[in-house]
Amino acid sequence: MAQLICRYRKGEEIRWISHLDLKRTLERAMRRAELPLALTQGHNPHPRVSFGPPLPMGATGEGELLAIQLDQAMSPGEVKERLNKQLPPGLEIVEVWAAPPHKKRETLGEVDVAEYRIIVTGEVDGEEVSAGVERLLAAEALIVQRGGERPEREVDVRPLILSLRVARAEPGEVELQARLKTGSHGGARPQEIVSLLGLEDERRVARYHRVGLHASAQVRAPRAGVMRRWKRSRSSGERS
Amino acid sequence: MKDSGLDVLLSRVVKPARYTNGEWNAVHKDAAGVRARFALIYPDAYEVGMSHLGLQILYHVLNSHSDFLAERAFAPWPDMEEQLRSRGCPLTSLESGTPLREFDAIGITLPYELTYANILNVLDLGGIPIRAADRGEGNPLVIGGGPGAVNPEPVAGFFDAILVGEGEEAIVEMAEAIAGRSREEALDGLAAIAGVYVPSRYEVTHDGPGPRGAVTPRGGAPETIARRIVADLDAAPFPTRQLVPFLETVHSRVTLEIMRGCARGCRFCQAGAVYRPRRERSVETLLRQAEEAVAATGYDEISLLAFTSVDHREIQGLVAELVARFGDRGIGVALPSLRADAFSVALANSIQQVRKTGLTFAPEAGSERLRKVIGKQMKEDDLFAAAEAAFSSGWTRLKLYFMIGLPTETDDDVEAIGDLVHRLAQFGRGALGSRQNRLQIVVSCATFVPKPHTAFQWSAQEPREGLERKQHLLQQSLRSRWVKLSWTDPGTSALEAAISRGDRRIGRAIEAAWRGGARFDAWGEHFDFGRWEGAFQEAGLDMADYANRALGYDERLAWDHIVAGSGKAALWEEAEEARAHLPAGGQAEVEV
Repeated sequence: MAQLICRYRKGEEIRWISHLDLKRTLERAMRRAELPLALTQGHNPHPRVSFGPPLPMGATGEGELLAIQLDQAMSPGEVKERLNKQLPPGLEIVEVWAAPPHKKRETLGEVDVAEYRIIVTGEVDGEEVSAGVERLLAAEALIVQRGGERPEREVDVRPLILSLRVARAEPGEVELQARLKTGSHGGARPQEIVSLLGLEDERRVARYHRVGLHASAQVRAPRAGVMRRWKRSRSSGERS
Repeated sequence: MKDSGLDVLLSRVVKPARYTNGEWNAVHKDAAGVRARFALIYPDAYEVGMSHLGLQILYHVLNSHSDFLAERAFAPWPDMEEQLRSRGCPLTSLESGTPLREFDAIGITLPYELTYANILNVLDLGGIPIRAADRGEGNPLVIGGGPGAVNPEPVAGFFDAILVGEGEEAIVEMAEAIAGRSREEALDGLAAIAGVYVPSRYEVTHDGPGPRGAVTPRGGAPETIARRIVADLDAAPFPTRQLVPFLETVHSRVTLEIMRGCARGCRFCQAGAVYRPRRERSVETLLRQAEEAVAATGYDEISLLAFTSVDHREIQGLVAELVARFGDRGIGVALPSLRADAFSVALANSIQQVRKTGLTFAPEAGSERLRKVIGKQMKEDDLFAAAEAAFSSGWTRLKLYFMIGLPTETDDDVEAIGDLVHRLAQFGRGALGSRQNRLQIVVSCATFVPKPHTAFQWSAQEPREGLERKQHLLQQSLRSRWVKLSWTDPGTSALEAAISRGDRRIGRAIEAAWRGGARFDAWGEHFDFGRWEGAFQEAGLDMADYANRALGYDERLAWDHIVAGSGKAALWEEAEEARAHLPAGGQAEVEV
């Protein structure tokens, strides 16, 4: 059984689709493309497809990942071509490659770093945002509330921010670059960063774009300080 | 919805994908090349409207015609309405983001009475005067159609034309009548099409309170409007390139309409009474449509739509062939409507992909006598045989539909529901043995609503107090760890009855309710009975005159100009037959 990894783009047109709806959309496209999908056993078989970390609703991304299991051989090139013919505007398979043969499942489970570009427009001032970024990076802990309505939960996202900087500042528009931990061992959400910077209100609009997803093993070595904090947080049992 | 202003709106509402379009199989046509542009509206939330087959059929028929174009819009959820109103943005179509007021025609489904306030809201948000009388040359023609059209009077004042009956063929004739014509010419053309009712061409008189009155033609309009019927269902256009929404909708699957109409003659059922004659699609056609639809949508389930799908004469062969062709591709087959008998359960069991979550049956009444009154051809033995087959095939959860407030019903009949359910639960525990802990019987109890063109159209709905007392009685008699009971709010049913049997005057109450904030009344959390009571008062009307009064055979009814189903004499005969089954030695609490 062959496993293929697809890198795909979630564009403007469908940025308001939730992750769950996106999964269904892609699975239906795979069926229309008549890919030889491996199905799960049982009364209600479904295709063996796994997805990388979800993108928040309203965000776009160009380095999104999914893995599919085929039960007959098909070249990555053909999978890409067939699938792209069946995708709605705003969704595109950018690249397909075969997963290393020894990896059976959870290939995407190793993904734990997400790179974001965040553009805030409206009443924003570059210098104020820069000061805010410095304040955040200097903080010992950054506590955010999680869980929306019911069981509120406090999470320290400071160790989950690997890097954060103002990349561009113009009157009324500031661009941030953020490298955040993501995945099943805990992650920070880009909206939380914007909220911590005090930029989340009616006077401004924040746009989120995920530039890429990585497994930290493959990532350029982060700055020593960040690495130290990260290790500390892991050893002190940061979970989510 | 392309500009960034709307992008900001989207960031402030729940489920923004309701408004963003781009769904697979959506049609984007250049307006420049067409002669008539339609906006098709389903006046409820996107997820509900996108599950409606009628809308998909008309969308497909109009868009497959090179001269016409159809786009879609749905009732915006209150959060979106607030955003639109506060920013002064009009409601637009999904496909091209065109404000509704710029279309040549607005086609609106009349699915059920509780959506009527939404219709006014959609028109208003779309920049279109809500009353037909206030529209002029620059405004779109507002055309209605769908189940509610068999009594068009309550909404007649808001529509320029209403199609009574099936739309596959009529919609093209209507588009032709509109294309390039002035408003008056278009109305003339529409009035000349079989099945089309142009309310402004009729005089309405009222003989007293309630739906008494007459609708008579002015000038050359036809005296009666006969429900439009597609003669050859097998040859009728059917969309296999069905729209595939991003959002999870009520039915996210391929829908195949295998049959139209119903072989049964339940006397309370309007759909059964008017969707006549019964027509079937052939197995050959259905298999072809299934292949095409699965290839075009990528859905993993095919649902066989009919009032009772097992009544299709070749249902066994059809199901066997569908399972053989699609089973190993991981595509399941679903029978949404079963009959309560062993055959149906055996058929459901033969569909291996079906997860055995639950089976649904509709005894409608608890006692054999009352089932005879309503013309429900189900014997208790059939129900128990169905239950036995279900439990022995692995099902542990049954859902049962009942109704209270039916004509001639007494407390004994209500208690008979409890008795029947208890015996079924007892039986289920025995049949399931060691697995009896998983037994669940879900009882869903609706309220009888008298509907035009049925044998019970003259019957009174029981007043709210009586219904509430019977619901309480039912609750008492159904206390059991195996049984779960849900029921319809009597206020909702009263309003449904009043609008369903309404005349032209009811439009005033609908308008008053909408102005008072009525939206999404079919959604329990939005329904406010007090608001509707106030609206009826404001309109100088009494809901009880329409809902709770038994009508007489010689009364002229507000829908007598619409010919649908059997006709008054035959219906009255049916009602007489129902009366033959009065409770033994007792006086019926509700007159038939």
